[in-house]
Amino acid sequence: MKKFFRLVRVGLRVNFGLSLLRPKALLENKRDFWLIVLILVGIAGLSPVLLYYLKGIRFLYGLLAPLGQQAALLTLAILAGQFLILVFGFYYVLSAFYFSRDLDLLVPLPVTPAQVLLSKFSVVVVNEYLTASLLVVPVLAAYGFHSRAGLRYWAGAALVYLFLPVIPLAVVSLLVVGMMRFVNVGRKKDALMIAGSLVLMAAALGLQFWLRSLPASGPGRQALVAFFSEGGIIRKIGASFPPSIWATRALVPEAGTTGLGSFLLYAGVSVGLFAALFLAARALFYRGLLGLGEVSARKRRLSREALSARVSSGRRPVRAIFLRELRIMNRTPIFLLNGVLSVVLIPVIFILFARGGGGGSSGDAFQIILLLASSNPAAVILGSALFMTICGCLNGTASSAFSREGAHFWMSKVIPVSPADQVKAKFLHSFAVAGLGILVAAGAAVAVIGAKPGCVLLAMPLALAAAAALTSVGMIIDLSRPLLKWTNPQKAIKQNFNVLIAFLADAGLLIILTLAVTALYGEGLGGAGIIGGLAVFLAGLSFLSFSFLLRIAGRRYAEIEA
Amino acid sequence: MIELENVSKSYNNGRVKAVDDLTLTVRPGEIFGFLGPNGAGKTTTIKLIVGLLRPDAGTIRIDGIDIRKDPIAAKSVTTYVPDTPAVYERLTGLEYLNFIGDVYGVPKAERLRRIEHWLEIFDLSAAVANPIQSFSHGMKQKIVLIAALLPAPRVMVLDEPMVGLDARSAHHMKEMMRTHCAGGGTLFFSTHIMEVAEKLCDRIGIIDRGRLIAHGTLEELRAIDREGQSLEKIFLELTAE
Repeated sequence: MKKFFRLVRVGLRVNFGLSLLRPKALLENKRDFWLIVLILVGIAGLSPVLLYYLKGIRFLYGLLAPLGQQAALLTLAILAGQFLILVFGFYYVLSAFYFSRDLDLLVPLPVTPAQVLLSKFSVVVVNEYLTASLLVVPVLAAYGFHSRAGLRYWAGAALVYLFLPVIPLAVVSLLVVGMMRFVNVGRKKDALMIAGSLVLMAAALGLQFWLRSLPASGPGRQALVAFFSEGGIIRKIGASFPPSIWATRALVPEAGTTGLGSFLLYAGVSVGLFAALFLAARALFYRGLLGLGEVSARKRRLSREALSARVSSGRRPVRAIFLRELRIMNRTPIFLLNGVLSVVLIPVIFILFARGGGGGSSGDAFQIILLLASSNPAAVILGSALFMTICGCLNGTASSAFSREGAHFWMSKVIPVSPADQVKAKFLHSFAVAGLGILVAAGAAVAVIGAKPGCVLLAMPLALAAAAALTSVGMIIDLSRPLLKWTNPQKAIKQNFNVLIAFLADAGLLIILTLAVTALYGEGLGGAGIIGGLAVFLAGLSFLSFSFLLRIAGRRYAEIEA
Repeated sequence: MIELENVSKSYNNGRVKAVDDLTLTVRPGEIFGFLGPNGAGKTTTIKLIVGLLRPDAGTIRIDGIDIRKDPIAAKSVTTYVPDTPAVYERLTGLEYLNFIGDVYGVPKAERLRRIEHWLEIFDLSAAVANPIQSFSHGMKQKIVLIAALLPAPRVMVLDEPMVGLDARSAHHMKEMMRTHCAGGGTLFFSTHIMEVAEKLCDRIGIIDRGRLIAHGTLEELRAIDREGQSLEKIFLELTAE
């Protein structure tokens, strides 16, 4: 046990020591003060969403309390938190268990496979507390305040939150450990791993699809009550995935019970799954891990002709760096899953979520999709542009463009290529990935939602201009404080603070633009005027952000020490 | 030619002086060996020369070009081999060499000739089409070395280049170093192997705690110690606490 706790302690230090707990590292140079401004723009843009969320919780509580159904809010929040962890925990688990560079140090140590795996699992659990906090903690806290809960509730809420990630993460971990045992054979490990990942993601999507296909009533107050009421949809979902019901009963006991039984059930299943993971770790972990990094190679001497055909010519630094970026991104499974595959999958996920399983356009949460099917051409153009921009830019390609180089950054420092040229090549690569997302989104909008092709085509320049601006913003953020010391490729892209900052900035900017467009429309400005103004604004923004990126490139390349 | 003038570099807000007021010139056609105990400042000096680190003070010139004023011109005549071969593992050996050829602008015919030549010398012809990920440590060291030779640079800076090489490759490496300098090139390298420094270097520098404590030809260093001992003995005496 002592060894296990020591491994967990070291794991936590490695995990948090580099970024989250180093506030000083946010700004390496006082001249980068604008980065704080960018974060503030993001927060300002997102704060209406957070306020809306809190107001929504208060509204629902007020609606359900007279019916005595307010505890269903807790069920929904816990269910949503666990579902979020179930879907996104997959990447964390996969890279933490199998792609951390520290595994080369841990495996030869006199510790058991179970100790190594469970210590890594514990670190992921701690990460997930942060991931789920924005979704779940406001509901737990709001419920406590509104119901004037006593100490018992608050202590119970803390315990429920403590166990929250364990069940979904243990389920994902068991699947991943099983998958990797199967995948770690033969020469096509990377391809098998990506295929396996897609199958698991498809399964998660299928689950979402099924949940959304459960019968729901039309919109309105009554529907909400029915949604949350006894025998309503939340209870039905809860019955299919009961831990959220157990957790709710533990916090708000049913009449005549103390809630202890429900808590013991909730905690017991968590512990049971942890034990199952312990057994799986003993039996399967090293068999899936050892030799994973080995790549079998055919010893094949190239003929002079073949060598000559493959040797390139001339001085083409931008092309060379673009190809390097493309190859490394697409050949590193974790990068590929978070880059190209993300932009292909996000439009599909978006539309599946929005349309639900019923076949009709029941996804009222995604008003953009409604816009795409609108009869107003201006609304279709603006909605398509927003949809395509989100689909193309909602990935970490640009905001990890420098961090992904990691320990190889020394090469970018010593080659005789100006930082401006290097940045141009990286921009082209990130923009190409965004462009792919835009194309897939355009196709999905036309083929699945039935948006008018002409409108989608007109929306494309808007989306491309927005993508150019957001790509530059993402790269500026990453270049300001690249995360080059990582042991796990996941750190460079999925757990990179820069990706989060860029996401905040992108979301903030898009929300501000959407609010501005809505306000202008409300003021009676015509669709053509709004689209024209937006096009000029986005073109200007992309020009300015790209120019700024080039301007800081020389200074930052010189400052970053490798 | 490599010139360092009063170069200093410190860490931890000046508390740790890694390189302290270093002045040194390595002339064209010269093999310069850089010796020192662990943590003496060898790698920091090398990283300063190739532009991986920025000096706190002083000037560094490569072939007369100030690396701060015109870093691209300085880099285009320099190649570097680090102490650990951290290279793009997801590229094949040939893709990596093409990348280097593209960024240095090596013409196709020259590129093909040099790649064939060095692959043959370092026995990598059969592996070059495979991902670098599949290479052993020594093979990675060799591919980095070939990449450094591909542009036929005027200045080569090598950090512990013999580590990981087998005896045959180490022999070829020493031959290459001599050939490079016989053609007027400049070569600066660090090593812990005294015999290599003794046999190969035109001049030797010894650094300790960031300061260059002795430099000159082997004979000049021997003259410091009246008994005319081996380089190892001289090194041990000069770097003693």
